Amino acid sequence: MTDAGLKGEERTDLAQESATDLLTAADVPWNLVIWNDPVNLMSYVSYVFQSYFGYSEAKSNKLMLEVHRKGRSIVAYGGKEQVEQHAVAMHGYGLWATVEKASSSGDGQGRKGGSRG
Amino acid sequence: METAKDGRAVRVAKAFKYGLKGITGYLEPTERELLRGLVDDVISMLEPQSSADEDPLTALIGLDMNVREPSDRALLRLLPNVMKNDGAASLEFRQLTERSLRETKIGALRATAMGLDRNDLVLTPEEARLWSMAFNDVRLVLAERLDIRDEADADHVHAMQDWSQADDVESYLALVYNFTTWLQESLVQAMMASMDRKG
Repeated sequence: MTDAGLKGEERTDLAQESATDLLTAADVPWNLVIWNDPVNLMSYVSYVFQSYFGYSEAKSNKLMLEVHRKGRSIVAYGGKEQVEQHAVAMHGYGLWATVEKASSSGDGQGRKGGSRG
Repeated sequence: METAKDGRAVRVAKAFKYGLKGITGYLEPTERELLRGLVDDVISMLEPQSSADEDPLTALIGLDMNVREPSDRALLRLLPNVMKNDGAASLEFRQLTERSLRETKIGALRATAMGLDRNDLVLTPEEARLWSMAFNDVRLVLAERLDIRDEADADHVHAMQDWSQADDVESYLALVYNFTTWLQESLVQAMMASMDRKG
């Protein structure tokens, strides 16, 4: 038995809380980066963002389009271990994910918030 | 990424859809046979080679100290490096996680192979999730074999829609790729519809 909609709301809150908790620690934040590739379906990438991270459809589509148009997008951030765990989950889904230190991002994307415009 | 065009390559299968019975689909025996073959191929690529000098304790807890970055491009796409420009850190991470990642993928692929045993398909939400992962891995491997490197390559492969033109291995692979793409797209749409309905 599932209640996907309600679960999605709860998971969004939890994801935000835990990311915030981790950032208050004296820990350098890490980013989870998803890279574009010519194979993965846009619908599937959005589905993965919705179902795994519990992001809304609108947020998932926005991140997906950013991957598609800009070649990459930071879709989550947090402590290193947490972000690495996300990366393995993304690899399980077949998405091309890497982790990077927030400050090491070459294009100024390495800051809190994940999905800037 | 790509947007799925239609599935003109094969007309017999029916798109997955979400309805009263859940997520349902229909595949002909030849299509199921084809998909099972593809899934089995990916499983055999992912099955870890256990080496004779492996430490049984580290193996038991899922570590693999002998693991290396895959030399096969398709396998590297399935099991990518976790850091863009740090081979040493990526290798260390691989030692800790690659075995379990292979097992996750093999699990999804096996569940799909087992479910391909009847024409009328009825998938639970969890089965649908595993099938969508398996189809994705099959497509990633086919795409490497077809040398799809960018969106232009993908468009070129998409143009191949007529089975009567399948006169060489590459065009046959392209048709199989397009069929799997169409099938995965319809499955994801059905999964999204089921999420909407429950939300």
